[in-house]
Amino acid sequence: MKKRIVALLMCTAMVTAMVAGCGNSSSEAPASDDTASTDTASDDGAAEGKDITECTFAIVPKSAGNPYNEAEAQGFQEAIEAAGATCIVSYPETATADAQITVLQSLISQGVDSITVAANDENALQATLQQAMDAGIHVSCVDSKTNADSREVFVNQADTNLIGQTLMDAIYDITGGEGQWAILSATSQAANQNAWIEAMQSVMESDEKYANLELVDIVYGDDEPQPSTEQTQALLQNYPDLKLICAPTTVGINAAAKVLQDQGSDVKITGLGLPSEMEAYVGEDNVCPYMYLWNPIETGELAAYTAMALVAGDITGAAGETFEAGDMENSPYTIVEASDGGTEVIVGDPFEFNADNIAEWADVF
Amino acid sequence: MAGRSGREISIASPKTPVKRILSWEGALVLIFIAVNILGVILSENYTVANVLRQMPRYLAEIFILFPMGYILILGDIDISVGSIVCLCATTACFAGNAGFPFPVVMLVCLLTGLVCGAVNGAILAKFTELPSMIVTLGTQIIFRGIAEVAMGSGGSISYTNSIDLMVLTQMVGPFPIVFFFVLISAVIFIVLLSKTTFGRKLYAIGSNKEAAYYAGIKVQKIRFIVFSLAGLMSGFCALFLLSVLFSANTTTGNGFEMEVIAMAVFGGIATTGGKGNLVGGFIAAFIIVCLRVALGLINMNTQLILVIIGLMLIIAVLMPGISQRIKGMRKTVK
Repeated sequence: MKKRIVALLMCTAMVTAMVAGCGNSSSEAPASDDTASTDTASDDGAAEGKDITECTFAIVPKSAGNPYNEAEAQGFQEAIEAAGATCIVSYPETATADAQITVLQSLISQGVDSITVAANDENALQATLQQAMDAGIHVSCVDSKTNADSREVFVNQADTNLIGQTLMDAIYDITGGEGQWAILSATSQAANQNAWIEAMQSVMESDEKYANLELVDIVYGDDEPQPSTEQTQALLQNYPDLKLICAPTTVGINAAAKVLQDQGSDVKITGLGLPSEMEAYVGEDNVCPYMYLWNPIETGELAAYTAMALVAGDITGAAGETFEAGDMENSPYTIVEASDGGTEVIVGDPFEFNADNIAEWADVF
Repeated sequence: MAGRSGREISIASPKTPVKRILSWEGALVLIFIAVNILGVILSENYTVANVLRQMPRYLAEIFILFPMGYILILGDIDISVGSIVCLCATTACFAGNAGFPFPVVMLVCLLTGLVCGAVNGAILAKFTELPSMIVTLGTQIIFRGIAEVAMGSGGSISYTNSIDLMVLTQMVGPFPIVFFFVLISAVIFIVLLSKTTFGRKLYAIGSNKEAAYYAGIKVQKIRFIVFSLAGLMSGFCALFLLSVLFSANTTTGNGFEMEVIAMAVFGGIATTGGKGNLVGGFIAAFIIVCLRVALGLINMNTQLILVIIGLMLIIAVLMPGISQRIKGMRKTVK
């Protein structure tokens, strides 16, 4: 019997020690706890005119282990910390809305002042984010938006219609204006990818010059390398006459480019990709003649300035308001109406990466 | 009494208070208290109100724990429950958006679950040679597939009339309403298992299917009932999950089956069948939930939290084996 007691105590002690040990190693935790709890105690709702150096700003990216998301979070964190405030970066356990809700609920409990989220599902976060807003927390979106009711403002990396137009022009140019092409997207419910695909389709319908381009399939690689690779291989097998794949996701374009190069395929790829990952594939005679993206670090940075302006009471998220964004290129930024009935801030135009500039940008992000 | 799982978990509950504390359930209560103390130490935001507010999403999962416990005691496994949750939530969204009154929507949700469970049960009862793991792996893919086809290319459907769902998110004092539903189901399932002949039959089948059959127990009928029950409870899970998510998508309920099996195993239910009870599983569920909430509050990396829970599970399963071995070594020394 004694052995059992000992074993029992040992187990309890081990678990406790392990957990406590891990707890201490997590970096920002103690500092953020203090500021957060005092803030919620002192002011609920009436957040206007706060001293932002005493505030805590949280960002919830789409998923962990994706360099694009990490660059965005890094930009956010640097801008927040440069302003002297506390930053929490909370990655969800998987790239699902369900996992994001867990993280968001925890942030509400901690009483942070602002939450910036890149939503994995447009509608699923509504109840949780409204709960956050009821608790006096400012909610904004970055990269991938929620519906208009669950946010104050959306920091849009680039105008949706402009992305659609730019990508269609690239497809037209690379294919020579005719032939079969396919789309390799992220998850089937990713709000931003779906919006861009929709924009591309409406551009295609609006102009006669795209009549000879045939969109044969839209496949989903779930923003993970393995499924994206498999989906690319399936596309090549199913459509022998395929001329081009357009991947409006950084994970997808990288996986697809690797498949095309390994197989020595004639199919070309374009879309939205990270220069550092795509350096080996971009070039006139390569699988990817050119591609587009915006700077995810800048996107994160603008999201940080937006969150700080909301907490400081400089803006409320209504269209027409303007705010300063440090030393960013296009500062001051203006909030405009978004197509879904909410409001948004647009970071800038999509940027073209080609043989001439890829090496230079590959070092940046 | 130590069986293949190693832990001394008997069907008959221990009599004396000392034995009660020394049983696995007693240990779980101690671990539960330890986790809560830890939570309070780690973060001052670990308050009753905050923990309860974060709980509904996890509580929904516990609905499936009870029938899953039954299935494991039978010596079977059901890995399709996550997909059943997805399909139930999807049909409920469609029904709600089509303008049906909320009671009808609830009925549709539960009925979908029951039908899915009955399909599992019917296949297993009819073709007894098939392993439940493989059959439910098949239906796991099928059920989620149906939901994905129904949702179309968007892969997501939102419940437009969200006021309906608010009924399920009401609070009674600091407690979310789902908490009481979980408690009621816990009582029903625990009593059914430990105080009725139906419960005894489950243990009998799990211990020795042949013997149970020759003792006159309708083995396949009971398997059918239990698998149907798992479907029905998945429907309940979907309903309450919907009240948190306000929508369904292709990943809804993903991985629930494994989380629930983890809770059951941590609670002392042997996957080999015939051993364990639901009280342990129920406490274990709350241990895991509270630990996740506590670690979440200090913004620990979510992947790391999963690693810790995995480690705890392994330790929990290994521990009795280790103490047995120490005991054995002692005897040989003597």
